Amino acid sequence: MINNEYAIRLKSVTKQFGTHTAVAELDFDVPRGVICGLIGPNGSGKTTCIRMIMGILHPDAGSVSLFGGDPDDMRAARVGYLPEERGVYKKMKCMDFLTFLAEIRGVSRLEGKKRSADWLERLELDEWADRRIQDFSKGMQQKIQFIGSVIHEPELLILDEPFSGLDPINQNVLEEIVRDFHSKGATILLSTHLMDQAERLCERVCLISRARKVLDSDLRELKAKERTGVVVVNYEGPGHWLDGPEIDRVDELNGETHLVLKDGADHQEILRRGLTAGVKILRFDLLEPRLHEIFVRHAGVDSIGEAGALNDTTLGVQ
Amino acid sequence: MPVNVWTVIRREYLERVRSKWFILSTLGGPVFILLLMLVPAYLLVGGKQTEQTVAIVDGSNVLYELIAPSVEASGFEVKEERWYADVVSTLRQEAIDGEIWGFMLLDELTLETGEAIIYVVAPPSPIRQITLQSAITQAVMKYQLGKEGVDVEALLAGGELKLELLSEKGISAEQPQFWVGYLGAFFLYMVILFYADSVMRATLEEKTNRIVEIIISSMEPWHLMLGKTLGVGAVGLTQLAIWIALGSLIIVIGMPLLIAFNPGIAELETILSALPGIGMIVLFVCLFILGFFMYSSLHAAVGAMCSTDEEAQQARLPMMVLLVIPIAMVSVVIVEPMSPVATWFSLFPFFSPFLVWARAASGGIPAWQIGCSFLLMFLTILAVAWVAGRIYKAGILMAGKRPTLLELWRWVRET
Repeated sequence: MINNEYAIRLKSVTKQFGTHTAVAELDFDVPRGVICGLIGPNGSGKTTCIRMIMGILHPDAGSVSLFGGDPDDMRAARVGYLPEERGVYKKMKCMDFLTFLAEIRGVSRLEGKKRSADWLERLELDEWADRRIQDFSKGMQQKIQFIGSVIHEPELLILDEPFSGLDPINQNVLEEIVRDFHSKGATILLSTHLMDQAERLCERVCLISRARKVLDSDLRELKAKERTGVVVVNYEGPGHWLDGPEIDRVDELNGETHLVLKDGADHQEILRRGLTAGVKILRFDLLEPRLHEIFVRHAGVDSIGEAGALNDTTLGVQ
Repeated sequence: MPVNVWTVIRREYLERVRSKWFILSTLGGPVFILLLMLVPAYLLVGGKQTEQTVAIVDGSNVLYELIAPSVEASGFEVKEERWYADVVSTLRQEAIDGEIWGFMLLDELTLETGEAIIYVVAPPSPIRQITLQSAITQAVMKYQLGKEGVDVEALLAGGELKLELLSEKGISAEQPQFWVGYLGAFFLYMVILFYADSVMRATLEEKTNRIVEIIISSMEPWHLMLGKTLGVGAVGLTQLAIWIALGSLIIVIGMPLLIAFNPGIAELETILSALPGIGMIVLFVCLFILGFFMYSSLHAAVGAMCSTDEEAQQARLPMMVLLVIPIAMVSVVIVEPMSPVATWFSLFPFFSPFLVWARAASGGIPAWQIGCSFLLMFLTILAVAWVAGRIYKAGILMAGKRPTLLELWRWVRET
């Protein structure tokens, strides 16, 4: 296998629906073993992108490879997929359904049954194993679908808005499972518009806006790069060290002192000045930007529930 | 065949066979047909429902003996009354009082023309009028012709036309069975269409509830279609097998027992001789399999290219219109199974399942033509499955409006 270090590789992928360009010349790599968040406003092309990775849509131009090879050979056994629009066989019994999903991906029936039972127990649904899925609540169905996407223990997990519609407790349960898979070496790509979640969970983020990639980087590096230029300080002693060419202004917010730096200013210089002045510095904290702020800054629109924004699911299906 | 095709077949088969509907229709079907066969037979033979008394005043002095049995057979109690002066007014009073249902007057004129008078409080149903009238005319004929030494009983039973086949043109050595031809063709039509329709519904359901996205990301669309079709087809075969087994059981064990316990219904035995033989049953099953695969592939494609039930019903309309032709032809073909029209129509693959059956049942199809139709149907299945598979693959993940014919053509060419 060539270039096995990337779980997913998209090379200048383009997809159009009629005159609307859903994804334009997207280059996007997900290295193996990371949790990567695909974020972007509604209608930006997240779902289209995921559907192309899953072979549900075919790109008009560009190429998709998984684990360095032809995606068609990899998907069944090595990839787990939770689509945004979730379907189940409503009349099937929960256990049979999960075993079926395991089987079509190459897990033996016996093993599939065993795993289904284990998962149902883990998600506290074991009493429901022999009930028909039509009797399940929406949240329970979603948990079943989640189990269905991981039952064959995939190396790559692709989750399209996995947490939408779940209560916070169940969100945490699923988040925990995602982390668990990650710690076992799996690669995870999840699309979300919940920035808090992405911030908590992801090591990398890729921001798509209006069909194009805007950002694609390690989250920590991104935050360092996108620093707001605000330093929170707490000190004992005289305050004259805060007068300097680096500092634009000093705000007192909620009992904290916020130093707003000028563009390109070196905060180390301020710290050095404070120390030489003999001030006792209790806190010197370079404030990191929230992902939400980065998102808004780069996506150009406020992310969530933007009225009139194109919804990518309706476009994603022509 | 890939393992996951078996998984799809297995799921499709088990989910259907375990359903309440399947159990009900499989067991209920034969019971229903049995009732349909037995109830009229029972009523015809010995069923005496409401006992109503008819008084017969026989002025001819010969007709009563001849008429009474057939009036009794049609469900009346018969009471003979002598002719006397006040008989009409006496019986009239009895009828009004509800002691008798009515009374009939037979006289010399009846003996010549079959005319008679029946006095009733409420008019009898048309069917009763007909049975009573035919009882009278038959009695008169028996009396008049009996004097000439004619075997009136045999004549009235409809006589008999014995058939001697001089050539080996017909494959069926069995007697031609028209009703088997009719009913079998309709039955084939029903089961083939029902199961093909199931494939369409299942496809549509998977598509609309989007589970198909998960499945297609694990297997080839073509394999999914194959698995579904084979699974549903296996359910159909299971149902036919159970029906055939139950039918044989009823006929081989049930009927003789029934007749042993109740010799009165020995006439049921005539039904036995009219049943199709093993050769015909094998032909039936083969025609079902071939017909099912032709029509289910088409239905799968229709299911895959539509998004709602209404759309699918509309899209398959041309197919249904096409199907009217063989069904309309069944009666023509049964009457003249060897005619060129019957031959050509029955060799057209989409009509073959119904018309080959109709011809075989009426003893008018050479073996080579059956073989030929099988071959043509088989080739058609390959062609239809190829086209349908492409439409399926392109359509199954689409939503929104139904494709136009031009788009369909593009799908077939480009997929």
